[in-house]
Amino acid sequence: MSRLASAPERADSSGAEDQGQIEGASSERATKNVARSPGGTAAEPEWLTSRRADAWDLYLSTPLPSTRSEEWRYTDVARMLPLDELAPPVPELSGPAISNGDGPVPEPLRRAMAQDRDSAGRVIDIDGSAVSVELQESLAAQGVVLSSLSEAVRSGDPLLESLLATRAVPASDGKFAAMNAALWTDGVFLKIPRNVQLERPIRLSRWVSHPGTATFTRILIVAEDHSRVSFVDEILSPDFEAVTLVNTAVELFSHAGAQIQYVSLQRMGKGGFYLANQRTLAKRDSTLDTLNVALGGSVGRVDLNARLLGPGANSDMLGLYFGDHDQHFDFNTSQDHVAPNAHSDLLYKGALDDSARGVFRGVIRVHEGAQRTDAYQTNRNLLLSERAAATSLPNLEIEADDVRCSHGATVGQLDAESLFYLMSRGLDREQAERLVVLGFLGEVLDRLPMGGVVEKVTKAIEVKLGHVR
Amino acid sequence: MNDKAVLSVTGLRARVAEEDLDILRGVDLTIRPGEAHAIMGPNGSGKSTLAKVVAGHPAYEPTAGAVVFQGEDLLELEPDERSQAGIFMAFQYPIAIPGVSIANFLRTALQARLGDDEELDLFDFQELLMERMELLDMDPSFAQRPINDGFSGGEKKRNEILQMAVLKPALALMDETDSGLDIDALKVVAQGVNTLRKENPDMSVLLITHYQRILNYIIPDVVHVMYKGRIVESGGPEVAMELEARGYEEYRIAHAV
Ligand SMILES: Nc1ncnc2c1ncn2[C@@H]1O[C@H](COP(=O)(O)OP(=O)(O)O)[C@@H](O)[C@H]1O
Ligand SMILES: [Mg+2]
Repeated sequence: MSRLASAPERADSSGAEDQGQIEGASSERATKNVARSPGGTAAEPEWLTSRRADAWDLYLSTPLPSTRSEEWRYTDVARMLPLDELAPPVPELSGPAISNGDGPVPEPLRRAMAQDRDSAGRVIDIDGSAVSVELQESLAAQGVVLSSLSEAVRSGDPLLESLLATRAVPASDGKFAAMNAALWTDGVFLKIPRNVQLERPIRLSRWVSHPGTATFTRILIVAEDHSRVSFVDEILSPDFEAVTLVNTAVELFSHAGAQIQYVSLQRMGKGGFYLANQRTLAKRDSTLDTLNVALGGSVGRVDLNARLLGPGANSDMLGLYFGDHDQHFDFNTSQDHVAPNAHSDLLYKGALDDSARGVFRGVIRVHEGAQRTDAYQTNRNLLLSERAAATSLPNLEIEADDVRCSHGATVGQLDAESLFYLMSRGLDREQAERLVVLGFLGEVLDRLPMGGVVEKVTKAIEVKLGHVR
Repeated sequence: MNDKAVLSVTGLRARVAEEDLDILRGVDLTIRPGEAHAIMGPNGSGKSTLAKVVAGHPAYEPTAGAVVFQGEDLLELEPDERSQAGIFMAFQYPIAIPGVSIANFLRTALQARLGDDEELDLFDFQELLMERMELLDMDPSFAQRPINDGFSGGEKKRNEILQMAVLKPALALMDETDSGLDIDALKVVAQGVNTLRKENPDMSVLLITHYQRILNYIIPDVVHVMYKGRIVESGGPEVAMELEARGYEEYRIAHAV
């Protein structure tokens, strides 16, 4: 399944030595690396080859975001992400045993998968290659398509050419969007036909094994009219000594009356640098809900843009983060109300321990003519240590007059009175803290109907709080 | 009843941590197993402070004296250790813990008493909880509500007594549990306390109250009057009656500085 084998050489190769790096400090080195661009095989259709090439040009001409820009003020990628030291995930690293699809699933991933209750389908992705795709036969018979992205491209489905890196996360959406559009190796394509409603979730179980690499994955989900699906994207990795980048682009399209629920469970190990660009495009009367759970990795940066494109569209946007040690989570969200009569409701809650840092920047944009918009945005942070820090920057840009919007942000400490109250009933300090934190974060999980995710996340938080039983 | 004190407070002085002025200025109090004591006194006299110091609230710092509970030096123990030793304080102002259900909280509290080696039997727990809620005339759905979150004043007080009934302390400190309860709720709460005392005749109660009313239902063995951080008078139930009639004026005169 690995598509990394034969990247085509580009004519403008400068002759610099073959370093297998993604970006060099100098343009020569960078140009040379096009030749090593892991995306693209000789078999790829022309539209994709040129889309990748254009994206790569954009990548090279787009400067790295600096802390001078408002959107990256608190996440210094130049310092945190040594782009010129990252290696592309070359196939030798993955090895044939894993890439042929029957290879062993790493134990931690297997355990995470075993916790999942029933699923309607599952894709396993190892080091940026979808090594296994399973879908309930009855669903396939109803026309549900679940495949690796590379397979979807091969299949010639016209949706790929029209929707992949075009309307949702195009290369023009910034340095890292361009990087992904140029270099993606694989991912998931999911299409739910008209009127087909899935009762159980589709899952993507991802694993990254090699330190110091960069992986590029794309998820494209199209829910046709009045269909329904929920999708759980979980990523795990071991701890890494070297910074290890995972760059994910998520493109979600819900057509009239459809429902998509997308859940991201980021549970990478230390050293993981998780970057995600997520865009949700909700048409008339559709529901496009997201939940971002950030528990792992050293750095997590999620850019989520929800676009309410049709009247009656609805987006619930939930987020939950729990950072400890020196974890750094940065969420940059926007709620774009383009159509009138749409509703969006964002709630991001985070607990931060040790010297962890949380950043939330959110904007509600009500475009001209989007009358009778209902849009809400709340970010709450709980600091568990004096060294932890949270920054919360809610914002409103409103160009319509008949709207209901609100935003709120809080950063609070663990309350001594609450702890005493619980301890006066016999709980020790850790147990008391654990209850307060779980209670605080539970407000987010309570709003999520899907059972298995709640238990998994609760468990993962308990492990982080040091209460493995 | 035996003569050994369950709680003995001697010469206790305490202040808000880091501040100069003592709030408790030499409190002496002895409670024997099975006794009910009442402490009355004007607002600000230090009644809640006394209860909180006994329960181990970290905001207060004992500066002199001793608190001994069943032979053990209480002031050395953390609040959770005091609870596990058998002390329970029903808060005057119970704290809301959003997102944590009463059931989950009490299950955790009982599990904590068992330690790591023993697993709480969830069936037994459920049974105990339901039985206690019935005793206090509470709807079973109450247990699923987050602790004190959006509760009315009366619900908060009842929730305190529910926790007490589940945890079965040897000494219950009830800080103005009667304030804010209507007469029916007061009767239910008092009956609950009396049931617990019947179950465990050695259980002792320290009632902090402004009103003689609750003492009609929980008959005290001793009534104390607290004034400006000291217990200035102790006697039988008649002390409460007199206070009800005359107020604190005579103490104000006698202890004017
Ligand atoms: N945490 C605190 N910080 C500052 N002052 C306090 C604190 N707790 C109690 N006090 C003061 O101590 C005195 C006694 O308070 P308290 O014990 O609550 O009295 P009571 O319960 O008898 O009404 C009051 O003057 C009160 O203002
Ligand atoms: Mg008081």
